Amino acid sequence: MGMEQAWLIPALPAAAFVVITLVGKYLPRKGDWVAIGAIAASFVLFFFVLADLLDVVDEPGFTGGEKSWEWVSFGDFEIRLGFFTDQITIVMLAVVSFVALMVQIYSVGYMRGDPRYGWYFAVMSLFVAAMLTLVLADNLLLLYAAWEGVGFCSFLLIGFWWEKRAAAEAAKKAFITTRIGDVGLLIGILMLWREAGTFDISEIFEFAEAGGYGATYLTVAVLFLFAGAVGKSGQFPLHVWLPDAMEGPTPVSALIHAATMVVAGVYLVARMLPLFELADPIALNVVTGLGLTTVLISATMGLAATDIKRVIAYSTLNSLGLMMVALGSHSVTAAMLYLFVHAFFKALLFLGAGSVIHATEKQELDELGGLASRMPLTTVTFAVGTLAMIGIVPLAGFWAKDEILHFTEVGQNAGVYGLMLLSVFITSLFMTRLFIRTFLFKSRDPESRKHAHDAEPAMTVPLLILAVLAAISGFVVFSGVGEAMGFPGGFGEFVFLEHAEEFEFNWDIVVLSTVLGAGGMMVGYVFWANDAVPATRMGELFRPVYNVLYNRFYIDHVYQFVIDRVVLTGSSIVSWFDRNIVNDTGVDGSAALALLAGWQLKFTSTGKLPNYALAISSGVIILALVFLIVKA
Amino acid sequence: MEELNFEWALLTPEYILVAWAGAIVLLSLFSDRIGKVQLGYLAAAGALVATLVSLIWIDNSTDFAGIIDINDYTTMFRVFFGLIGVFACLASARYVNDRLLHPGEYYALILLAVVGANGMAASREILTAYISLELLSFSLYVLVSFAKFEPRSNEGGLKYMLLGAFSSAIFLYGVGFIYGVTGSTHYAAIGEALSGDTSDISMAMFFGLSLMIGGLGFKVAAVPFHLWTPDAYEGAPLPITAFVAAISKAAGFAFFLKLFTQAFGPLVDDWRYFIAALAVATMVLGNLVAIQQHNIKRLLAYSSIGQVGYLLIGIAALSPEAGSALVLHLVGYVITNVAAFVCVIVFYNWTGKEEIADFAGLAERAPFLALSLTIALFSLSGMPLFAGFVTKFILFQAAAEADLLWLAGVGVTMSFVSLYYYLVIIRQMYVGKPESLGRFPTPWPEYGAIALLIGGVFFVGLYPAPVFELVDDSTASIFTTFVENAGVVSQR
Repeated sequence: MGMEQAWLIPALPAAAFVVITLVGKYLPRKGDWVAIGAIAASFVLFFFVLADLLDVVDEPGFTGGEKSWEWVSFGDFEIRLGFFTDQITIVMLAVVSFVALMVQIYSVGYMRGDPRYGWYFAVMSLFVAAMLTLVLADNLLLLYAAWEGVGFCSFLLIGFWWEKRAAAEAAKKAFITTRIGDVGLLIGILMLWREAGTFDISEIFEFAEAGGYGATYLTVAVLFLFAGAVGKSGQFPLHVWLPDAMEGPTPVSALIHAATMVVAGVYLVARMLPLFELADPIALNVVTGLGLTTVLISATMGLAATDIKRVIAYSTLNSLGLMMVALGSHSVTAAMLYLFVHAFFKALLFLGAGSVIHATEKQELDELGGLASRMPLTTVTFAVGTLAMIGIVPLAGFWAKDEILHFTEVGQNAGVYGLMLLSVFITSLFMTRLFIRTFLFKSRDPESRKHAHDAEPAMTVPLLILAVLAAISGFVVFSGVGEAMGFPGGFGEFVFLEHAEEFEFNWDIVVLSTVLGAGGMMVGYVFWANDAVPATRMGELFRPVYNVLYNRFYIDHVYQFVIDRVVLTGSSIVSWFDRNIVNDTGVDGSAALALLAGWQLKFTSTGKLPNYALAISSGVIILALVFLIVKA
Repeated sequence: MEELNFEWALLTPEYILVAWAGAIVLLSLFSDRIGKVQLGYLAAAGALVATLVSLIWIDNSTDFAGIIDINDYTTMFRVFFGLIGVFACLASARYVNDRLLHPGEYYALILLAVVGANGMAASREILTAYISLELLSFSLYVLVSFAKFEPRSNEGGLKYMLLGAFSSAIFLYGVGFIYGVTGSTHYAAIGEALSGDTSDISMAMFFGLSLMIGGLGFKVAAVPFHLWTPDAYEGAPLPITAFVAAISKAAGFAFFLKLFTQAFGPLVDDWRYFIAALAVATMVLGNLVAIQQHNIKRLLAYSSIGQVGYLLIGIAALSPEAGSALVLHLVGYVITNVAAFVCVIVFYNWTGKEEIADFAGLAERAPFLALSLTIALFSLSGMPLFAGFVTKFILFQAAAEADLLWLAGVGVTMSFVSLYYYLVIIRQMYVGKPESLGRFPTPWPEYGAIALLIGGVFFVGLYPAPVFELVDDSTASIFTTFVENAGVVSQR
């Protein structure tokens, strides 16, 4: 077992999907154990692949393990599909298979009694399989197919409770918004293929390094690729689907936000970063710019959101923006490190929120509060997640965030760095608000608090495991820790593109970020403690600002307006066309009388048949005229 | 003048079809013992026999009397059209039994239409192709108006016929111009006359070309020659709608591709952008108007217009790769579309309804049917896993290679639009509330056909290599002269 068999990792959950869909009804427990067993096996397999990779990773010239098969070939046209394993892949595999396993176990408790229990596990398995395929794909075509698969499964899962109108709407919104990016991705892939003549990622790199693409051409192509990442990873301006996607079951949100779907965009950019670097610097500046915008708007929107899951969703947008900024600053290491630790604390936050919702059946912050004494375990683990997200030493988020800040300071101008530091403060502020309003002080709805209690072990055990990881996983940055686990060194010496990045302790950044994080917490405490009087007063004082934030910068409204306008105008033109030229005397039977009484009349006076013939003649005449003009 | 080859046996599949058609008419007239349903299965068997017989000429390359090619291209389309005939007969069996009179003529006409389609793909001379085209069209005119007591069907058929006659006249006028300029109606001779220096070619040539594009555009339903499609589709009996959507497009494109490769190939740089413009108009209009439709037949009619737009990309990007990409997409599209139609037919047999709103809650009443239709629709919209993605992707690739990346861009965007209206149907089936909760009965022959077709959709989508090779080999046989004559095709 090793890298050659890496294809088994996605194949197992895919098989679980098939089994549960076909015979799940007849299996005990509707086949949930098949799904969990498959993903657990994938997780175990991951270690074999890892061990195999560690054996060869030190060899000079190692670029990754590959196994591919011929898929299509005719004439001199050939497409190979295959799987590719390198350090970035390994990190993704670890994150995806582990978080998926935790979420699946948690789901057993959370989804119990749902009428579509079996279907839920089937789609979750397919979702994970698609994501794992995406990660392992050695070529852009397979990557795109898996990419679409992820999008489609997310459509099914976000709209899982499709009876709820909001859920159906959110699913549609997510699907359509991400598809806009996907159109760009496909065009980008076609552009890359057109010059290089291959879909294979490493061959495309070689081709690009040999100067095969023109600089402008490559820039346009990678920007199209990035459009796909913008859609999938919820970057501004396509971020609008992500907060709405909260309508799905909470474990789905956890999986989408922590390990699959949204990090696919980050992974894509990380994987293709050599192309971004070869392109005009504009490309990476766009990545940085959109990432930074996302960081800032999401953090501020998080301040005003009132739904517990929505706040966490904004925190995800925030984190994704940070990863994009890291990539924009040329650092795969920092982005992947953040992705790695983020998966743990974000899954933890979501599953914790899920426990709260499960226990109280409330998810508005205004109806929560004071849960700490009723749900101690959830509170403690959630606190760990919150602190990790804020980036308090020594929790995982601290190390990753400082890495990103470090590379921003080195790679970007002072403005970007300053805005990043500002975002640290705001993030801390809204995360503190979330925690205080949910768990501390008086309950604002004592009725629901009365029944609240920590959930069953299937749900709490994953919380505990994730909390431990959210606390300690940041230590992988130290070479000592990495070496102790058999890696060639710390995270930066294992995951890198061109040269190893040893971890440095930058005291200035550490102090700055800690001060800002802790400052945010203190200000947050003052604002939202007890009855949150200062916060309310601030909200009233800056009513316009608050409204802008609460309405998400009106971005959704603008889109709605534009869509309404475009669709209305477009559809009115189309329906005019339809009614006046095609449909009116079309085959709706209204012409039947004329037809039976004397159909000649119809074609001489009322029928649209002459119009049809007119269209045909004018088409021919226009063609002929253009020929005449072009040729003469 | 070389000796013409009059080996009559080369046309055996067509003889079988014609004879079988005659036998079916006679049987239905004089035998009371054969039920209407059995007649349908019998006709399907005839189409299947002709299909199998045509396999005798695999890897053959000869011609009949200098006007009909018997090569791999012909064989592939004989098999393809034959199978379309088989599925059309199977899908009709119950429908005809329940709703139509004169089953003998109905099935005979389907078989004759297959003969016409075969001729269109096989001809190597324009007039022969034209006569085949008329045989196909006449059969379809009658079939579209076959629901005698249904005004919509009569009206649709009549419109189709009148406009068809109109467009045939346009086409023939074009043939006249071409003959005047090149002195021949043989593709190869036209191609030869047009190769070399094209600067002194008479303007009459381009008028002829415009007229022929118009005539062919009508047959394949390209915008702005598409207006008959929604009416004919909506009026026709459902299985005939499926049949028209499949065979008239497939035969039209088989002819279109062959003619424009072998006869007009040398002028490709002159007409490429015209076809590209038609492709854009067709993709955009077909997909946008489809959004507005409430009737499933009209929706599928417009979506098929959109598909024609994608197929035209293959002609605009003319090259051996683009040619096989076109045929491949044609195959994938027809399999998928027939699958979708068979699902709709089964639904209609039960309910007699065809509005999209009537599909509400189908998933609860007939899970297999809803799932199959969903798969077919996803494939039509070009989702990965299914045939539609692979074939469309290869087609767009061919376009990108021919410096028509923008055209591929339009195609990608329009596929995205198309997903929207397919999702509307899917949402109805899965989210909508059914009127009644009764499960539908299970018609095994139809479900068998659906399972086969869906299997085909997945086969092409997941493991396309065999189909690709087959299509590529077959299409190569019409491109042999193309490369020599024009030399414009750069082999990558």
